[in-house]
Amino acid sequence: MKTKYLVHGAVIAAVYTALTLLLMPLSYGVMQIRVSEALTVLPALSPAAIPGLFIGCFVANMLGPNGMIDIILGSSATLLAALASYKLRNRPLLVPLPPVLANGLIIGPMLYYVYAVPVPLWACILWVALGEAIACYGIGLPLLRYMSKRKSIFR
Amino acid sequence: MIRDITLGQYYPGDSKIHGLDPRTKIICTFAYIISLFLVRDFLGFAITVAFLSYTIFLSKVPLKFIFKGLKPIFFIIIFTFTVNMFMTKGETLVEIWFLTITKEGLYNAFFMGLRLILLIIGSSLLTLTTKPINLTDGIERLLSPFRKIGVPAHELAMMMTIALRFIPTLLEETDKIMKAQMARGADFETGNLLRRAKSLIPLLVPLFISAFRIAQDLAMAMEARCYRGGDHRTRMNAMRFHWRDALASFAMIGFIAIILLQAYVF
Amino acid sequence: MPIQVKNLTHIYSEGMPYQTVALEDISFELADGSFVGIIGHTGSGKSTLIQHLNGLLKPKSGNILVDGLDITDPSVKLRDIRQTIGLVFQYPEYQLFEETVEKDIAFGPLNLGLSEEETAERVKEALELVGLSYEEIGQRSPFDLSGGQKRRVAIAGVIAMRPKVLILDEPTAGLDPKAHKDILRLIRTVHREERNTILLVSHNMGDIAAMTDKVLVMHKGRMVMEGTPREVFSKTEQLIVMGLELPPSSKFTESLKCRGIDLAGLPLTIEEAEREIAGWIGKQ
Repeated sequence: MKTKYLVHGAVIAAVYTALTLLLMPLSYGVMQIRVSEALTVLPALSPAAIPGLFIGCFVANMLGPNGMIDIILGSSATLLAALASYKLRNRPLLVPLPPVLANGLIIGPMLYYVYAVPVPLWACILWVALGEAIACYGIGLPLLRYMSKRKSIFR
Repeated sequence: MIRDITLGQYYPGDSKIHGLDPRTKIICTFAYIISLFLVRDFLGFAITVAFLSYTIFLSKVPLKFIFKGLKPIFFIIIFTFTVNMFMTKGETLVEIWFLTITKEGLYNAFFMGLRLILLIIGSSLLTLTTKPINLTDGIERLLSPFRKIGVPAHELAMMMTIALRFIPTLLEETDKIMKAQMARGADFETGNLLRRAKSLIPLLVPLFISAFRIAQDLAMAMEARCYRGGDHRTRMNAMRFHWRDALASFAMIGFIAIILLQAYVF
Repeated sequence: MPIQVKNLTHIYSEGMPYQTVALEDISFELADGSFVGIIGHTGSGKSTLIQHLNGLLKPKSGNILVDGLDITDPSVKLRDIRQTIGLVFQYPEYQLFEETVEKDIAFGPLNLGLSEEETAERVKEALELVGLSYEEIGQRSPFDLSGGQKRRVAIAGVIAMRPKVLILDEPTAGLDPKAHKDILRLIRTVHREERNTILLVSHNMGDIAAMTDKVLVMHKGRMVMEGTPREVFSKTEQLIVMGLELPPSSKFTESLKCRGIDLAGLPLTIEEAEREIAGWIGKQ
């Protein structure tokens, strides 16, 4: 792995974690609206963001109050979504979709089965998906637009 | 505000738990969580609480810190507890106004609530007694057998280490940028959700530019020191298993065995 | 109306074992239209002080009166403060984010609620004041500019808000000598054209000596000296004890004096030093 790729991934991870920690009350728990999830659009600009986001999510969960299950499922969801976003990088409007789906379908059931949130399964899924959509489409899409014009920094 | 964020939850100490190899701790935490989901009744939980308490005692981490980890999800626990209590159908015990508390509801509320608490405490023991750097090392070693099937264990661990090192730096950068934009009239606080979301662009874009500038410098520095990846790279502090790790592993296996027996045989 | 700071005190992390008193009982006045400099060793509280002046931080106790309004009062709206007091941070070019120079400079005025026409006016004006051409760089990306240009665009972004008081924190940090001179010239131009009050925080004693009419000296959270540059720099021993030094021109003449060369006065600029030395040579 080239050093530049490694370092790019590392700073993306660091930015993700920094933003998550900064907005701590919002970032953890059932009512998650992670501003840092807006960064999930980055794989469209650089493949280093795939491991970067995975590590970022992993570290953020590790440093936060959530359990081991969150750490594993959360980061896995992020990894899968990042891979998909990368594949969709030529369709900007679809780029934020994978994280919405992945988190909804993985974190949603986690909330239902592990945290025993006593609302129906479909409500859990929808709730998580909604929080993700706000971050990924509301912040992520404009971010993607701005950063697309600055592609040179990703070389 | 930024200055008060303590990174991660590591509580410095030199207890027997602190001294365990991180790999042992990671695997044991996994095992512990699995066993939590094998427990079927409160007796099983009682055994778990006894085991957990002894571990906490050995770790010399003050109870205050243990419970601090529960604070952020305190409301979730209360929420889970309350809704389970009122919404489970079954044999009615008490009726308050239009809310019904059933026997099953009460049982479920306590069961789920307790399991959640034990889950969080168990996981935080891992992060409380292990420095993030050592955790990363442990993960890398545990994953290295998977290199044969293409998992880049070293690179991922390296990425994690670098990320950890830069989080404080980036937190400072974020603070500086936030203040600079606020001095130009940027408002991150008022407005509806969508408007506030957009107001983050003047924060995120400069943050990225700064982050990549730092990345550039770091990449150059690493290559100037002949970094070429993980093959044949040696370690300064080699990780070795001690008899303590064997002891801990046996204790863990014993614990799971007892739980299984209690839940399925007796 | 002058800015009045009265008994300002600020404590970081109050109640924690590692609490620090960043500012202790600071009082001073900034007269309208003046050009004031703040000097002090790192950690003396300069940054904390200026962040109080534009409302980013609230003090533990004390008042700051701007135009008769106490901005430390929690009910005062930050938007109004930011209109009056502009703050340019160190390395301001790191705050650039927009797609074009014009849009970035417009960020401030638009946040203040100005109309698009008014904003466009201000952008052109601000660019001119910082010595850049609207036609040439207005539509370019701020990231395509040189370091010195980026800094000027960033400063323009604050000037466009037409603050009555402009605070600049180390505006020449990290610049080469030519860019350094350009920025100083820029500041002088702004002061002259806008007729505002300028507060310059700097480690560069030469700049402070040459440009300010009043100097405030900070040390460990307290304001220990106040006066004209000549008054302040004449207290050489005290300054050195605090870890500060004299402007280069004075340092030079001081070292000449130590070797027995009889020079009067304390030259604040290189030109003054030149004249003094020339005068001394003439007398030989």
